[in-house]
Order: sequence, then C-alpha cells, then structure tokens
Amino acid sequence: MSVPISQMYTVASYVIKQKLSGRKRYPLVLMLEPLFRCNLACAGCGKIQYPAQILKKHLTVEQCVRAVDECGAPIVSIPGGEPLMYPDIDKLVVELVKRKKYIYLCTNAILLKEKLHLFSPSKYLTFSVHMDGLREDHDEAVCRDGVFDEAVEGITAALQRGFRVTTNTTLFDGASPLRMRQFFDEMMNLGVEGMMLSPGYSYSKAPDQDHFLRQTRTNQLFREMLSENKRQWKFNQSPLFLRFLMGKQDFECTPWGNPTFNMFGWQRPCYLLQEGYAATFQELMETTRWENYGKKSGNEKCRDCMVHCGYEATAVDYTFSSVKGFAETVAVTLTGKL
Amino acid sequence: MTLEGWVPQINDYMSLQEVVEFAFDYRGNTTVVKNDGSEIVGYIFNRNSDAPEPFIQLFDERGDGPFNIPYRDIATIKFTGKDTAAGNSWKAWVERKEKEKALRGAASGADRLGSDPGSHGG
Repeated sequence: MSVPISQMYTVASYVIKQKLSGRKRYPLVLMLEPLFRCNLACAGCGKIQYPAQILKKHLTVEQCVRAVDECGAPIVSIPGGEPLMYPDIDKLVVELVKRKKYIYLCTNAILLKEKLHLFSPSKYLTFSVHMDGLREDHDEAVCRDGVFDEAVEGITAALQRGFRVTTNTTLFDGASPLRMRQFFDEMMNLGVEGMMLSPGYSYSKAPDQDHFLRQTRTNQLFREMLSENKRQWKFNQSPLFLRFLMGKQDFECTPWGNPTFNMFGWQRPCYLLQEGYAATFQELMETTRWENYGKKSGNEKCRDCMVHCGYEATAVDYTFSSVKGFAETVAVTLTGKL
Repeated sequence: MTLEGWVPQINDYMSLQEVVEFAFDYRGNTTVVKNDGSEIVGYIFNRNSDAPEPFIQLFDERGDGPFNIPYRDIATIKFTGKDTAAGNSWKAWVERKEKEKALRGAASGADRLGSDPGSHGG
C-alpha cells in the first residue's frame, strides 16, 4: 500500500476516536463537488447532465469550507465536474491544507500542467488523476482522443515539481485484465505514488448503460487483474476493499462513509444516488433512511454496486472494529498478497 | 425515452406528487405552473413530500435561487426544457471511431495496393 504513514495515522486515530465515542455512523471522506462543469463528457459519467445555468454555477470557497467543517471527515475528495475549472480551486486548497485535511483533487489532468503554479506541494494535497487504462482504452472511456497523453504530461509535470500524484481508475465491463496489468506497470513506471481502482456505477443518467459491471463479473475481472499482483504495484486504498472486489471478502455498504456536498446541499443517500438533499450535514445523518440502502436492504439500485465510495469506508471500519480485521489488514499490507 | 415536452394533467390518474417525482428525476428545466396562473422556469433539484409543508426547490433559468415552492401552490409542472440526459453520446462516439477505423483500414489497404506491384496480379 502506498498511503503515507502520517495519513494512515490521521485516519486511524480519527476512526478509533469515533469508535471510542460510540459514534455508529461517521464520515470518512467528504466528497466535495464545487461545480458540475467539465471539459470532458465521459460515457460512464452521470454527473454533468444538467441545464446550462446549473453548469455555470459553482459553490463559493466559504460554502465549501463550511461544509468541510460541518462534516469533520479527515479526508476531502474534490471531484466535480472538473475541479481545475473551479475558479477558486487554489484558495480552496489553501483553506483545506490549513485545516490539515488530506485532499484528493480528482482531475482529468487536461489543465494540470497549466494550473500547477497555483499550488504548492504538500503532504495534504494529492492530485488524483482519472486514468481508465492504456492510451486507447482511456481515450475511448473519456470519448476524446489525446486525453491520455495530456494526462501523462500533467502527471509528469506534477511529479517533477514534487506533488503527490495518484491515479483513479474506473473499470467497466469489457476491460481486459491483461491490458489493465500493463496499465498498472505503465503508471508505476511513470512514478505515481499509488493507484485507486473501482468498478463503475450504473448511473441512470449516464449515456453508456451497456457496459456497467455486475457483481459476478466484477469479482472475476478483479481476480484476474490482481491475483498475481506485482510487488511494484502500489494501491492508494484499503487492501481489504480490493479483496472485496475480488470476491474474497464480504462487506455491506456504508453510504454515510463518503457524504457528498454540492450546490444542491447534502446529497441523499450517497455519492452515486440522488434521492434528495438535506440542508445540513446533521440533517443528512439524522433524517436519511439508511436502512433503505445497501445490498441487505434489497434496494435494486444498490444490488450490483461495489463502488469505493460505499465500500472503502466499510473496509476501513472493519480494520478498526476487531483484532481479526486489523490482523487481516496488516497481513495483506505486509505480504502484499491480496 | 424522455419526458421532454410532456405537459401532465393533474387528475385522478396522475397526482401532483407523482409529477413532482418525475420532475425531480428530470435533468432539464421545467416550467412550474402555479395555482395563481404565474409560471417559473427552472431546474428542480430537490423535493420533500415528508415535510409538514411539502415543497420543491429549484434554481431558475438564470441560476438564481434556490427557491422553495410549496406543493399546495403548484397546479402542474411542464417538461419544457431540453432533457440533458437524453440521447446516447457514447454510441455516437463508438460509431464515429468505428468509421474512422474503417477509413484508416481502407486507406492503408489502398496504400498497400499502390506500393506492392505484386498485389495487382502483374
């Protein structure tokens, strides 16, 4: 695993504190969407289909910071839209670093090289670059030629300037395990700190409905990709989550683990489903009918979902819930064998 | 399948609450017709039918808002704006790529024919 010790320590002490205080539901990663505008229109994305006046809008830095303080999660992921198109992204990052939040700025990296001068390297700031595979596969996923090369250029420039860089890969049906393994080699050779993987979620608003992974296929694909994982591959996520994707671990969803805030408010119940909005974080936590979500609930929309925003928090919670969970995590981390 | 252009009639077969749910799920602007005859065009991003006073929330056409409108003030909601989730841009992309590949294939085939006299059959 490639998560730095200081970040591991922050997350571990936060989770233990929640457990000691008897808090049953706590957020781990705030998904902060300052805007929905994007410079790509990827086939599997259901985040940007809005009328023009909504795409032109964005949150203020003050609104973002208020949400971060309200939520209290130690990690803030900034997706979107494309966060590098947010006019105050530099100011937002400064504010979050001041608050010692670990930031994952999720970008397609088209603007990364051009905007790097706005940021200073920090252990708190990671550029999490969207890369869905080798050149041809990535360009097909984002529906535009040349984006892979632009992203590689951005990654290289960021690494040269001392920034933390990870990749963030969404997998769809039809992904080739062999090509993905080549992709892992290529990304590690580029020098990224680690990689994040997740199966795609079948957004009802996404243009491509035919290629979302179902559970059995997800398990098969991840087993084929990761069974003989190479020592040089570093993953910037819980190893138990990866084992879950491989079908070696059974978890239930933690929809409150990655709460989402955007211009509409606090999204119910999770980052992927939009079933309404709460005005405050407290209202979200207290009035969402959590029992209606996750596999056990029988909710059809949750049936095939194995996405990181629902299950990574479960894996982290499992690690700190029992000696067994902790021992499993340590064993996988030390041996590197998933 | 899109609801674009739909002007629902609220009656015994279609309740206001059902129409609100469709409008909430719709990724385009709608026109909210109020009981007093006035109209407001905008994007409905939220609704709460469990609140003591059920309401919808929207940003208007200029992006101003959010505005709260109680259900009791709404006569109907017309699906007047473009459905931004309709259509299938991914299929269009795949078709374009396939065409490009086919064209490239045809061009390289033509090149081979031009550069290899043997292939002309003498």
